[in-house]
Amino acid sequence: MIYGDKSLGVIVQNITGRQGMFHTELMNAYARDLGGRGVVAGVAPGKGGREVHGVPVYNTVKEALREHDATRSVVFVPGGAAGDSIMEAAHAGITLAVVITEHIPVHDAMKAIAYARLHDCTVIGPNCPGLLSPGECKLGIMPAHLATRGNVGVVSRSGTLTYEVVDELTRAGIGQSTVVGIGGDPVIGQTFVDVLARFEDDPLTKAVVVIGEVGGNLEEEGVRSTDLPVVTYIAGVSAPPEKRMGHAGAIIEGGEGDARSKVRRLAALGIPVASRPSEIPGLIREVL
Amino acid sequence: MKLLEYEAKQIFSEYGIPVPKGALIRAPEEAAAHLPETGGAVVLKAQVDVGGRGKAGGVLFADAKTAVDTARELFAREIKGIPVREVLIEERLAIEHEYYVSIAVDRSSRQPAVLFADAGGVEIESAASAVRKVIVSPLLRDIPPFLMRELLGGAPKVLAPVINRLYRVFQEKDAMLAEVNPLVTTPQGVYAADAKLIVDDNALARQGIAVNRDLSEREREAEKHGFSYVELDGTIGVIGNGAGLTMSTLDLIEFYNGRAANFLDVGGGADQERVMHAVRLVASMPDVSVIVVNLLGGITRCDEVAKGIIAAGVAPTVIVRMAGTNEAEGRQLLGEHGYRMLESMDAAVRAAMEVAP
Repeated sequence: MIYGDKSLGVIVQNITGRQGMFHTELMNAYARDLGGRGVVAGVAPGKGGREVHGVPVYNTVKEALREHDATRSVVFVPGGAAGDSIMEAAHAGITLAVVITEHIPVHDAMKAIAYARLHDCTVIGPNCPGLLSPGECKLGIMPAHLATRGNVGVVSRSGTLTYEVVDELTRAGIGQSTVVGIGGDPVIGQTFVDVLARFEDDPLTKAVVVIGEVGGNLEEEGVRSTDLPVVTYIAGVSAPPEKRMGHAGAIIEGGEGDARSKVRRLAALGIPVASRPSEIPGLIREVL
Repeated sequence: MKLLEYEAKQIFSEYGIPVPKGALIRAPEEAAAHLPETGGAVVLKAQVDVGGRGKAGGVLFADAKTAVDTARELFAREIKGIPVREVLIEERLAIEHEYYVSIAVDRSSRQPAVLFADAGGVEIESAASAVRKVIVSPLLRDIPPFLMRELLGGAPKVLAPVINRLYRVFQEKDAMLAEVNPLVTTPQGVYAADAKLIVDDNALARQGIAVNRDLSEREREAEKHGFSYVELDGTIGVIGNGAGLTMSTLDLIEFYNGRAANFLDVGGGADQERVMHAVRLVASMPDVSVIVVNLLGGITRCDEVAKGIIAAGVAPTVIVRMAGTNEAEGRQLLGEHGYRMLESMDAAVRAAMEVAP
């Protein structure tokens, strides 16, 4: 497992929202079955003193951490306020913030991630499903019933496509060490490089599935950075060309963010690239 | 959302970035009222959202005598298929030197990147190696002087304040990209001869932009329901949840040599009503003879999805693949109403291919 184990306490920011409430209960059900600590406190400004599924609610992260031992936060705060919530968590001493929120303005994401780094807080997401170490702990919204414990790491920019791949692996009898959704936004806290580095240090992980999408070149960066056996799948080969980000985007990204050229470049590195999700288990068996 | 040149220049001007004197005209005759007092030359620029506008004939030069006729010529043109409805008429600058400057979101470093080149103009992409790049912390309000020196190299120092103002525009207008190509020096000073500004779609509301012009009418309708939707030209309708899974479904259709009619991501936690709207929207496209619904997830309730599909009651065949809560109930409901639910996305796409080969 990477990013910590079941002994670490978790808080949920915006625990009184629909998603926050629902997933607090799912995370805690998972933790209970495994003897983990799960969500120990929630935060919702102005709603301190309440309880959500038996979890006490505080007005601020600082107050929550004064009363409870927790180092990780799952953030369900909506778009415009989420950047501020990430900074609040980092400032109060949270060392891992998993940001589920979608539609965060990219400037807010850049600021919050830079601020979190100054406070030694790692950010996963935004716009991500979180992470799941099957049989150990779950942070976020991944459906745990599809996963099974094993030695293949999964790291992905997608949400549901990740579940699809996990389902394919489980059905093929291939378990997962940790599944990480890094998020689909242009600016994200943990990239493929960061997650693959963690997998390299993880004794459980023997191979990794990298699930990418159109846009940017983070997949190539990640795959080049690791010595672990890797299998990739890139979604979007049939997508019409992305609206180009002017000259600057073309220059920064070498002019090649589309899926087909991405697949070509990965294949040129000698990396197996699945042409559909159902091919992934077979390719993984070959590299294990 | 991409702003048009004149809109970007208006913002640049508010931030103290010098732009050429000019005016927006909507008819050729209006050109006569906006000629420079000096009687000098003008440039007429079609306000259309296309790349390579100059090469495509969207920029014309004229003098006081020819301005109206030249404007008439430009208004009669289509630039890469887009009719010209607005033209920016500007005084022509006495350019000494052209530079390139842009500020963009750098995915790799997760921070703003400022790019600068000593030679601006249309060929900037092929000159990527001559471009200098510095990364600026998003926590800073300005580009610090040491980074500015690194960026400019031997270029004139008078460019620095203009680039810093552009950086402010980038920050305060929630830009994904702020670009000036070319940034020019003239005997009268520095000017942004062109302007490009792309605003983050996730920040349109706080920037006071109500309507995303980059979307078609149908796409806006889809947006109202919270769908992300793109129309394509095939025959197989696609509804999925999550961009990755939906894209992957399109890819699979192509893998089996089919052609997808659309991309529709219903988003998280789709309920009966949302599914119904999604199915109806896709079914309303004339070429669609079969729809693949591919939903997967923890929150999605399969019985809700089944009810939505049944309530939509559309003519095209609907083939369903879904996994989640209440899967058995969903399967039973669909079966009772004669819909097929398949185990895998491969099987669902293959079944769709039999209907719309």
